[in-house]
Amino acid sequence: MINNLKGQKAVKELVTSVLHSYSVVFFSQNKVFGFLLLVVSFLNVNAGIAGLACVVFSLTLVHLLGYQKENIRMGLYSFNSLLLGIGFGSFFQLNPSFWIWITAACFFVVILTIVITSLLGKYGLPVLTIPFIFTFWIVLLAVNGFATMGLQQINSVLLNEMQNTKPESITGLINYFQSVKVPYYFDLFFRSLSAILFQNSVFCGMIMSVGLFLHSRITFTLMVLGFTVACVFNSLTGTYLNEISYYHLGSNLMMVSTAIGGFFLIPSVRSYVWAIIAVPMTILLINALTNLLGIPNLPIFSMPFCIVTLSLLYFFMLRINPGKLALTPFQHYSPEVNLYQFLNGKERLHDLNYLRLNLPFMGSWTVSQGYNGDITHKGEWAKALDFVVKDELGHTFISSGSNCEHYYCFNKPVLACADGIIEDVVDHVDDNEINVLNTAQNWGNSVVIKHIGGLYSKVSHLKKASIKVNVGDFIKQGELIGLCGNSGRSPEPHLHFQTQLAPYVGSKTFEYPMAYFVSTQPNSVPKFNNFCVPEEGTIVQAPVINGSLKKAFSFQPGYSATVKSNTGQEEVWEVFTDALNQSYIYSLTSGATAYFVNNGTVFYFTSFYGSQNSLLYLFYQSAYKVIFSSKSYVKACDQFPLHLSSNKVELWVHDIVAPFYQFIKQKFVSECTYEQAGFMIKSEECKELFGRSTQVMSATIHVKENAIKSFSVSSKGKEINLIWCSES
Amino acid sequence: MKLRYERPYLKKMNVGVMNKFGSRSDFQPVKFIDGVSVKSLTDKYGSPVFVLSERQIRKNYQSAVRSFNTRYPKVQFAWSYKTNYINAVCNVFHQEGSWAEVVSGFEYHKAIGNGVAGNHIIFNGPEKKEADLKLAIENDSLIHIDHFEELYKLIDICEALNKKPRVAIRVNMDTGIYPLWDRFGFNYENGQAWNAILKIVGLGKMQLVGLHCHIGTFMLSTSAYAIATSKLCDLAMKCKNQLQNPIEYLDLGGGFPSTNTLKGSYLPGVDTVPPIDDFAEAITTTILGYGFQQNELPMLILETGRALIDDAGYLLGSVIANKQLSDGRRATILNFGVNLLFTSFWYDHHISPAQDFTHYTEETILYGPMCMNIDVIRESINLPLLSPGDLVVVHKVGAYNMTQWMQFISTRPAVVLIDETGQTHEIRQAETLKYMEIPESVPVHLQHKK
Repeated sequence: MINNLKGQKAVKELVTSVLHSYSVVFFSQNKVFGFLLLVVSFLNVNAGIAGLACVVFSLTLVHLLGYQKENIRMGLYSFNSLLLGIGFGSFFQLNPSFWIWITAACFFVVILTIVITSLLGKYGLPVLTIPFIFTFWIVLLAVNGFATMGLQQINSVLLNEMQNTKPESITGLINYFQSVKVPYYFDLFFRSLSAILFQNSVFCGMIMSVGLFLHSRITFTLMVLGFTVACVFNSLTGTYLNEISYYHLGSNLMMVSTAIGGFFLIPSVRSYVWAIIAVPMTILLINALTNLLGIPNLPIFSMPFCIVTLSLLYFFMLRINPGKLALTPFQHYSPEVNLYQFLNGKERLHDLNYLRLNLPFMGSWTVSQGYNGDITHKGEWAKALDFVVKDELGHTFISSGSNCEHYYCFNKPVLACADGIIEDVVDHVDDNEINVLNTAQNWGNSVVIKHIGGLYSKVSHLKKASIKVNVGDFIKQGELIGLCGNSGRSPEPHLHFQTQLAPYVGSKTFEYPMAYFVSTQPNSVPKFNNFCVPEEGTIVQAPVINGSLKKAFSFQPGYSATVKSNTGQEEVWEVFTDALNQSYIYSLTSGATAYFVNNGTVFYFTSFYGSQNSLLYLFYQSAYKVIFSSKSYVKACDQFPLHLSSNKVELWVHDIVAPFYQFIKQKFVSECTYEQAGFMIKSEECKELFGRSTQVMSATIHVKENAIKSFSVSSKGKEINLIWCSES
Repeated sequence: MKLRYERPYLKKMNVGVMNKFGSRSDFQPVKFIDGVSVKSLTDKYGSPVFVLSERQIRKNYQSAVRSFNTRYPKVQFAWSYKTNYINAVCNVFHQEGSWAEVVSGFEYHKAIGNGVAGNHIIFNGPEKKEADLKLAIENDSLIHIDHFEELYKLIDICEALNKKPRVAIRVNMDTGIYPLWDRFGFNYENGQAWNAILKIVGLGKMQLVGLHCHIGTFMLSTSAYAIATSKLCDLAMKCKNQLQNPIEYLDLGGGFPSTNTLKGSYLPGVDTVPPIDDFAEAITTTILGYGFQQNELPMLILETGRALIDDAGYLLGSVIANKQLSDGRRATILNFGVNLLFTSFWYDHHISPAQDFTHYTEETILYGPMCMNIDVIRESINLPLLSPGDLVVVHKVGAYNMTQWMQFISTRPAVVLIDETGQTHEIRQAETLKYMEIPESVPVHLQHKK
């Protein structure tokens, strides 16, 4: 029984890997698309068989040799074999020596794939189809030199032009399609697409187009773009007198615009421009390489595509200030997902971009001088903050204010804004009389802390002999450094705070946001801020964190829970961390995965993978972002990435224009309130279409005794109630 | 201008050593409170009348919060209802973010009526009735256990209700001050407090979330708070380390003094009373230095009452008559007595006239209108010469008077709140005979015949 289950799982895994091997040729992990490609590859039966055989063979090989499972599953080690197989089947006749040499070549292509993947991987570059090209060149060189070695070429013209492949077996229906008169450019487009699989068939191209569109609207658009640009260039320059070869149009020109325009770069106006620029560059290479490789009589295959893509990618990677043209930070194998996650992450994943800095004090302080302040925050020292404590009348002192002790902020604890190591301490400068400046020792008593990632923070004008830390001490966020004072260039007691990139007391400032704080403008409700710089004149304080909510959402690796819905569904969830130290909840039942961040102030999900019917998806939706504060003014506002939108038709239309303009927004808001002996988190999701908002989901999470007890989600008129039983 | 009539006076010649402090006699009349004239207040609401300044209450609260929360990350104030439980007053504090600290079912219901969330009510006091405890448990309020009998009663109730309330114990201790307040809660030094903690945690019927102490009232020593804090921290640390039951909050109770002058003190209160900042410094440095992990610091709760409201309250009254006593001393009879100004038993209240006068002053005894010998407001006070009908303002009467006043001999007067814009609001009407007789009933045989 167990063996049986294991076997089933292995077969399922193999099928997935096979389908991925097909779809990944087009930078996709879409199984339907993979299946369609598998089917059309059999339009040339020999090529189809050889391709599939090579895929299964190489998958088995890398599996047995124990390479990285995830890469095997994604087909990354086997798509070159697929191309090799299809190529072999298209070029040579099936006979015993065919199988001998294809096996040998298959070994070779797998070895090359593994080796080149690793070599290029060090530079963050993909392997593309290089292993296939090299292997096939070797095969062809071998065949040419040694009287065919028993391999018989089907058609030598094909080798040179690769445009006259005739499908071997055509059924009546396909014949019908083949004979259908389609306009010239459509015919050219479909044939070019099919040429990527070494075919020359409108029908095949049509099926592939459908699969491609299913997989990604952006990829499809870019294919059309690459095609159009190539045709326009051709007609303008007249490079090819008759017509471009289908193969080069498909495998090189259309693929290069897809790779640059939407796969390795985040799709945007800029990436589309580069996709256009890449086309003439590729044409140049096609012609050059064709001439060069004409000498040993080798076809160039998709070498121009590989060279242009890799060099452009590396070229972009070497930029110091990347600006708005962004490389895909994490590959989701879908331009849409890449784009939506990127746009979404840019707005919300501050935890990955910044160190979490807290305010360096307790209680409510007023920013008396902000960034670029009029008094002293100028030039290279402009990005600094001065804080004082004010009373309800706006005064900073009691009595006459003639003495440091009269000032509210004087003698108040100053804290470490984040974990770090004490880099420098000055503790001997006398505190000034009020309105006296000590410009000789400008910064007064100061502490510089070295944080992770080369960031330094500094507090200045502390009280003489109040500093509690020594150089070299490790200090944790929120620990006491010293007391607020009036030393250095300070006419009245205040706290100077700045972030910098050098370890010296006098270093110039560097702009850096404070992670979370509550700000109050005079006569307005407090506002919860995340990752921004406090403005001059505002009263700021640390958010009040609710310990119960914080504990309820602290899912440590190993935490597991069973969730039961009133619809009879039941799932077991467990928390894991991945190799990049990111935590995620994994549904052992449905296989769905939801990555999250819990930084002690906020819990939020960063991404979701898997079935949207999973109960985990309901939790992902309802607890997308939760701030651990039950203050009424604290509302967690956020946006969902669009690819999880439920209305697919609407989304597909959106996908096409998404690189330029987004008209759909999926907004999320949640707030926590007290309820009987616990807390209730209310959240809702609204869809904004051209600015018109409609509620699509509302949810309630109940927290009691420091744990989530239940939650309910209602969307599309249905309400699902779920009970949460944690086991650890 | 016509000269104002003042009665003639006699002044005793003092021989001997001069008072080296040369106390001031140049009084200033207090004609306005928060910009509202005293005369208009008595004209509108009668004399005597209690007046409260909302602006001053808020100022006091914000200042106290500032003192603490710029020194400690988690601070919560809970308004001590017994200090002044007029609803308008309580709601000023609740608006500012204060919880409620109550010591009886009556006060508990008042807090609920003021819209305080159940989990923001601290239930103190030696007498908590079973029904009140049940309600507090249902509302998830914080119950501060005072004695073992209450602990056992709570255990029974928990079993019956099958609920796990959040509780704290009140701890009493020697902080080096006299008198020692050891009648409330469990003693620290003799191990009773630890014993109670062991019982609560061991039985597991309740969640021990806090530790509470209240070391005294009108405390003039900040070091006593440092000692109390350190003893509570010690218990909290033991709870965490030995019982794996981290304590969520330390409640240092109340006891901060107002700037009233205690009877018998040599110098006026404004000069001798430590500011709240000093108490805050003593308490917070003790906790911060005790060795808790930064993220495990317990919340600090303060039940400050008097210091937040005393100087926001005024009692306005009028002179009834002047008298010469048998020994030649002067006496002035006012229209309010110890029935309204309960705190005159504790303090030498500062009293100002509310109209202009000359610079002559006279030592006087101030009597209330009761026909009771103890009805003395001030045994000796230097005041300008007052005539019948003149108005006086008694300062710093916001705490305890409006809860401990007596309906004795006459009814209680109105209480007026001056809001931040200078508008006056009658937040408690003057009592009437009819109001006083509502709960009464006369048996038929005692009813008078019409």
